[in-house]
Amino acid sequence: MAVWTRTRGRMMADPGLVVAFAAVGALLVLFVLYPAVRVLIYPRLADYLAVPDNPRWLQAARNSLLMMVLSTLTATAVGFLYAFAISRRDMPLRRLFQTLSVLPLFAPPFMVAFSYILMFGRQGLITKALFGLDVNIFGWQGLWLVQTVAFFPFAALVIGAVLEQISPTVEYAALNLGATEGGVIRTVLFPLARPGVAAAALVVAISVLADFGNAVVIAGGFPLLATEAWFRIEGLADLKGAAVAVALLIVPTMILFLLERYWVGQRTYTVLTGKGTRIEQPPTPPLIRWLLFGGCVVVSAFVVIVYVGVLTGSVATVWGYKWTPTLAHWRLGLAQGGPQLITSLKIGVLSALLTSAVAVLAAFITSRPTLPLRNAIDFLAVLPAALPGVFIGVGYLLAFNGPPIILSGTVWILILALSFWHIPLGYQAARAQLKQIDRSIEEAAQNLGATGMRVLWDVYLPLLGPAFMASFINAFIRAVTNLSIVVFLITPRTLVATYSILAMIGGGFWGAAAALTTALLAITLLGVGAARLVLRVGLRPIGAT
Amino acid sequence: MPDQPHVRLVGVTKRLGTHLAVDGISLDVAEGTFMTLLGPSGCGKTTTLRMIAGFYSPDRGEIRIRDRVINDIPPHRRNTAMVFQEYALFPHMTVAENVGYGLRMRRVPRPEARRRVALVIELVGLSGQERKFPHQLSGGQQQRVALARALIVEPEVLLLDEPLSNLDAKLRVRVRTEIRQLQQRLGKTTLYVTHDQEEALAISDQIAVMHNGRILQVGTPAEIYFHPANRFVADFVGQGVFLPAKVLNARQVEIELGTLEGNIPNACTIGCDACGKGCRADILLRPDDVVHDDAAPTQAEVVHKAFRGAEILYTLRLASGRKVLALVPSHHNHALGERIGIRLDVDHVVAFQPEP
Repeated sequence: MAVWTRTRGRMMADPGLVVAFAAVGALLVLFVLYPAVRVLIYPRLADYLAVPDNPRWLQAARNSLLMMVLSTLTATAVGFLYAFAISRRDMPLRRLFQTLSVLPLFAPPFMVAFSYILMFGRQGLITKALFGLDVNIFGWQGLWLVQTVAFFPFAALVIGAVLEQISPTVEYAALNLGATEGGVIRTVLFPLARPGVAAAALVVAISVLADFGNAVVIAGGFPLLATEAWFRIEGLADLKGAAVAVALLIVPTMILFLLERYWVGQRTYTVLTGKGTRIEQPPTPPLIRWLLFGGCVVVSAFVVIVYVGVLTGSVATVWGYKWTPTLAHWRLGLAQGGPQLITSLKIGVLSALLTSAVAVLAAFITSRPTLPLRNAIDFLAVLPAALPGVFIGVGYLLAFNGPPIILSGTVWILILALSFWHIPLGYQAARAQLKQIDRSIEEAAQNLGATGMRVLWDVYLPLLGPAFMASFINAFIRAVTNLSIVVFLITPRTLVATYSILAMIGGGFWGAAAALTTALLAITLLGVGAARLVLRVGLRPIGAT
Repeated sequence: MPDQPHVRLVGVTKRLGTHLAVDGISLDVAEGTFMTLLGPSGCGKTTTLRMIAGFYSPDRGEIRIRDRVINDIPPHRRNTAMVFQEYALFPHMTVAENVGYGLRMRRVPRPEARRRVALVIELVGLSGQERKFPHQLSGGQQQRVALARALIVEPEVLLLDEPLSNLDAKLRVRVRTEIRQLQQRLGKTTLYVTHDQEEALAISDQIAVMHNGRILQVGTPAEIYFHPANRFVADFVGQGVFLPAKVLNARQVEIELGTLEGNIPNACTIGCDACGKGCRADILLRPDDVVHDDAAPTQAEVVHKAFRGAEILYTLRLASGRKVLALVPSHHNHALGERIGIRLDVDHVVAFQPEP
């Protein structure tokens, strides 16, 4: 990037910015817009019109919507109670609960389903070994439970951020005006959290609709749009059918996405208090506190069970029959999946770097106020958040299988698909951070004699460090643990760990699958730790003042 | 009892963490009084107010409203409405809903609540803004909403915690006048917390000056200003310098600028029996005690000047090298280094024991 000019009015004359703008724009058009359009125009109009005549399609669509409603309701409700509980400073074990609720975000997306089959299935450690029950967990009920546990952390995260914003003074004001402690919660805290709850519900609903990993493992014969696309390709080599399935899926996710972005997103209550309050929260009434505590214990138990299930699964000799510990599964799993773990790791690092670089650059460009078309770039940078992984998978399969660009069969198609799918979070983090940076800081640097290039280097890059790190970590985790995209794009030469685990689960090698899942989880956590270390040393954040 | 205080604090102590925030204070507030707790930040004034509101309970001591001890009454049953420094308006409620909140909590029937909300909104001059949300209002308007929200519940005692600190200077003066007029009209017993001595002097019936968790002096603004009980109060309220003096007798002291006459009780305490000749004291000179007079024999050198519009505040060096402040009408404009004639015009002699 060359010189950023001194005055904002002349920004367009800046060749460096123009080049960066063109490059980012071209990348987003080619790797976000083009595959999406390819999916939508691949089936002919007649194929779309035939959808109502196909009972299987209708069934899948209806099931997807049903699961969306059920799982969104429960996951959001649980997420809200959980977030509310850990927002109370006087909640016992608050830190522990907080950590436990974040843990599932590091797990591969099918892990909850897999572990619950081990724990609550027909051979379940809890259902059969402990209680002697014969439970069939496959089907919509099992999926409902699994999705609730898998997605409540998202809801808790979104709602928690909103609850954190509420100044304790508002609670004192309500108490002072005669509200009882319960009244404060009912009339002030709940209504203030409502926009957060709406946003959380929409985020969860999109995730549930797009959920491939859990559905493919536990839904059994229950057809869903997300899995249907893959079954079409795997079983029938029916590309057109797959495209139709993901195109159907995109209608509700797009609606939810637009709702979230342009309706709920505008509605969060602005924090009015200029000065930070150092005043402590008033105490939570004991009855409510202990009820919430009980709820947190139950929910946390379900989270812990996910990990216990996979860990014990990797060492039990024959699941359901012989519980003596063995390392055989680890040997088998690592022998078969070891190289794929390395591939996953490589793909994760490369794609996370690419994601973060493009995301930060795009955010920098769209935060320049005078640029034309910046809204278009902005839209393309957040659009992937509305696209289910299976949609991206099918899109890349269709788009880069032939001219002008042929990538299929290479590792690059995986890296690019994962990179561009994960841009929105990093982009939004960088945008938010840029918004925090007062213009006057840039002006001060210029005023003191820094030329354009130095302003970017001295002022913006150090301040964007935290956003880059957030983007990298998020993209890395999601790339390493991804299943929904990779199932469409891998070839025998580019196998990754998640796909092997899925194959092992399908083939009944539960022990090996559990061992490999544990190894993948360990690698993810190690990778995140390493990334934090490297980025902290490399890009020391200059305190967000 | 007719002269029973409305609010009474007896030996109230509060520790926050390891910090002794309030250290055994006692205070009586008569019915209808505007009482200001004045002091630098960290002096315990806000903690005191929050104890009266019931957000903290005192570790020791007693808080009474009339003859009722309220130490352990939860905040929502006290009827001590408070205006918060950062207003703490409910961002999800309109102006009318914010103002009506206290009535809703008291289960006042809707028609009556509506009537009272309209009344109070008119009282604070916010008619026409009822349906707006707090973030659509200016700072001054938000401040009025906070005030209206507290007044509507007809509180026993009105508590205000630095309510003007988020307003700009001009608005601050206007709103404080309005608050004072409203308080006098309603005859509401009011406790007001501020660190701004000028504000405290302008608005209060009574001021309690606090420092390090203790009350150093309680009195009317004039008493606090003219008869500060100790050096801290003298220094914190108003401007001034201390000059060393020789006590001639119980009514006369001599300083560099001449002899002062008046009651000088504070000078004669420990170590100075009967205020005999030769005792030492420090005399407080306010800027308005030093008058510029071209005809005066005593001269001082201008070392610093601050233009204040109508007046100039001069810092003058005396022959001894000590400095005094003089407030002079600004048409007497003198350059730095110039020597100008001054004389004393002291109404209230304030004397303290010299610092060891």
